[in-house]
Amino acid sequence: MSTPAIDIQDLVYRYGRSEALHGLNLCVEPGECYGFFGRNGAGKTTTIKCLLNLLRPASGSVKVFGMDPSRQESEVKARLAYVPDFVAFYPWMSVREALDYQASFRSRWNSGLERSLLDQFRLSPDAPTSGLSKGQRTQLALIGAIAAEPDLLVLDEPTSGLDPLVRREFIQTIIGAYQDAAPGQRTVLVSTHLISEFEGLIDRFTVVDQGRAILTARADDARARFQRLRAEFEGEAPSASIFREARFVRHSGRSLELVVDSDAGPLLERLRSHGPVRVEEESLTLEEIFLNTVK
Amino acid sequence: MHIRIHFESGVPVYLQIVQQVKSAAAGGTLLPGEPLPSVRNLAEELRVNRNTVARAYTELESEGVIETRQGAGCFLKATGSSPLTRSAREGRLNAEIDALIVQAHHLRIADAELKRLLAERLYRFRSSTSGTD
Repeated sequence: MSTPAIDIQDLVYRYGRSEALHGLNLCVEPGECYGFFGRNGAGKTTTIKCLLNLLRPASGSVKVFGMDPSRQESEVKARLAYVPDFVAFYPWMSVREALDYQASFRSRWNSGLERSLLDQFRLSPDAPTSGLSKGQRTQLALIGAIAAEPDLLVLDEPTSGLDPLVRREFIQTIIGAYQDAAPGQRTVLVSTHLISEFEGLIDRFTVVDQGRAILTARADDARARFQRLRAEFEGEAPSASIFREARFVRHSGRSLELVVDSDAGPLLERLRSHGPVRVEEESLTLEEIFLNTVK
Repeated sequence: MHIRIHFESGVPVYLQIVQQVKSAAAGGTLLPGEPLPSVRNLAEELRVNRNTVARAYTELESEGVIETRQGAGCFLKATGSSPLTRSAREGRLNAEIDALIVQAHHLRIADAELKRLLAERLYRFRSSTSGTD
């Protein structure tokens, strides 16, 4: 197996006396599009900052392509690009100058890609960065990040400032353009709580809650495991208490809704033994899986 | 050929693509020698990861459904050239048939009824398509 793009083991970080990360594990293989899902304050940004050596962990190990960011900071930074949730540019710079400034730190720069994305997002090179909206700032930062063609792209809440109508389109464009040149090798770590936009893009994900990884799975496997069963009965639905292994049960009059996170077979059998009029089965989306694991 | 992804089906996304390409090929909406959309275009259209589409195409190629022509993309292969032996092909189909039998049992469909349904579906499938094969 190749060296993981990111390998975090038992990461602990404390802000003053309060612990922000309590032994977090995260392993991202090269070429994956990896989702890092959690509520605000769950520890996503703290983890990312440890990757970038912006924060020093209290304990645990952090490796990026096998390197320790605190010892080989410049080597690590040469291989990744990071787009934070709030992007700041020097206000006196134009879009063109801001990109040139970023390019000056990089050994590679794909000018063709830069140009086509500027066109696609209708960003004028002459526009002053001080006049950009939050969404445009994010777009500009993302263009700068992928023009550098890093091996690892780290995105922290990349869509949170964007218009919901363009969000999906836009993230597809960015991640697609990034993966295009070297499919199977370009790694993306995307931290977000707006999961539905990334549904089809995510290969694997970790749900982080209160500083711990509480679920790590392949997206396909998770959707196969997490199922919602809805049953309608002629009379009163059977009591919720007989479906203890369900993750979630909602009983209302003649209908019963269950969420299971393992083989639904036995439960389905039991449900059918109560003679429902109708039973429906469907998989949860990643967003629903997230909501079901963090509550 | 029109592919649609249903996340709520719980079927792995790459497999949904594989199944729908096969189904289009069997139904004649994708003809032998016809090109498939590029990985990039299909990924964009379906809003999925390129890795996922690439994996589906690799799978389809290993099963002899499509072929890659250097620099030109993927094309549906002429039928009758599966790289799998007859027994391997039958083995695969048998697994699907067994699943169908189990499902029929749970739905309380009798054997004779199941055979009738199968014949009827086959007939409909063949008469709704151009009748190649």
